[in-house]
Amino acid sequence: MVLLSLPCWLRSRLTDRFWRVQAVLKHARHFRGRKNRCFKLAIRSVQRAFVKTTKARRKKKSFMRELWITRIEAASLEHGLKYPAFIGNLLKCQVDLNRKMLADLAIYEPKTFKSLAALAQRRRQEGFLAALGDGKEPEGIFSRTVHHY
Amino acid sequence: MMAAAACGRLLGAGRRRAAASLLWSTVRSQRSQSTSLQQGIIAKTSLSSPPWPEVKLPDPIEEAKYHAEVVQKVNEMIATGQYGRLFAVVHFASKQWKVTSEDLILMENKLPAECGDRIRLEKVLMVGADDFTLIGRPLLGKDLVRVEATVIEKTESWPKINMKFWKRHNYQKKKSKTTAPSHPTAFMAQSHRTPSQLTAQ
Repeated sequence: MVLLSLPCWLRSRLTDRFWRVQAVLKHARHFRGRKNRCFKLAIRSVQRAFVKTTKARRKKKSFMRELWITRIEAASLEHGLKYPAFIGNLLKCQVDLNRKMLADLAIYEPKTFKSLAALAQRRRQEGFLAALGDGKEPEGIFSRTVHHY
Repeated sequence: MMAAAACGRLLGAGRRRAAASLLWSTVRSQRSQSTSLQQGIIAKTSLSSPPWPEVKLPDPIEEAKYHAEVVQKVNEMIATGQYGRLFAVVHFASKQWKVTSEDLILMENKLPAECGDRIRLEKVLMVGADDFTLIGRPLLGKDLVRVEATVIEKTESWPKINMKFWKRHNYQKKKSKTTAPSHPTAFMAQSHRTPSQLTAQ
């Protein structure tokens, strides 16, 4: 006798439901309230948490950059320079420190930051003088560019 | 240190006020009618002088002497080894790090180095001690600074989760990413040395 169709009383049953539930709950253990214990509440919170993590990873970069810029602005105002003047003149002097580094130097190396501010100020003044003069190569010492070829 | 430049500015020669004999904007322009302006005292209007305050740079010869002095002092300090702890700003793994000796760095990259290998970090943007700083434009020479590091650990990263979810649309995707093993995750930067001396510019 050949069995042509599977009998309807044969059902497959889930055996690892406990571990599937625990895999979700382990991400919710530090939450507050019942959503750290009850699966139905936890799964919603955990999904939202994961989505927020993915989106925040992109926003973190712009947030950190804003923070660094605020700190550099505050530090350069202490030395009498505004942020656009500071950054623009540092770039014109071919100093390639990024904003993260400048913010760290402003916090942990105040003397170095003061010298960078003085450099930017001097380059700014030479730029003003060059704006008033002819269109030739600027005379200032700190305006001379370094050629690496 | 370039803070010396600020002092140099203040110590410059006494200011001389020259009467602006021409409108400042006409110095740049090449108008044919510029010859018709008379030589004399210009009335102070909103356009008779530039919007920035007048700047007077210090005397270049004196300033050059001052710079040479500063460079010589720094050279002496380096030669006699009078610096304490040095810090360096290093460009590595497409990021900039402020590093001192016995410092740990964590990066999420693969390196073809094994654990315990000694690595030299070559792109140094700045080196500083307590009393002086060397600022590179943009990099310092390889014969000037030497920054070395040891690879301590190479592990997988923690599983970063990438999830998309739209509510009421039955749409969700979850992906968990651990950056593959054999990527160096920790360094220890050691032994800054500035063997050679600076030359005055």
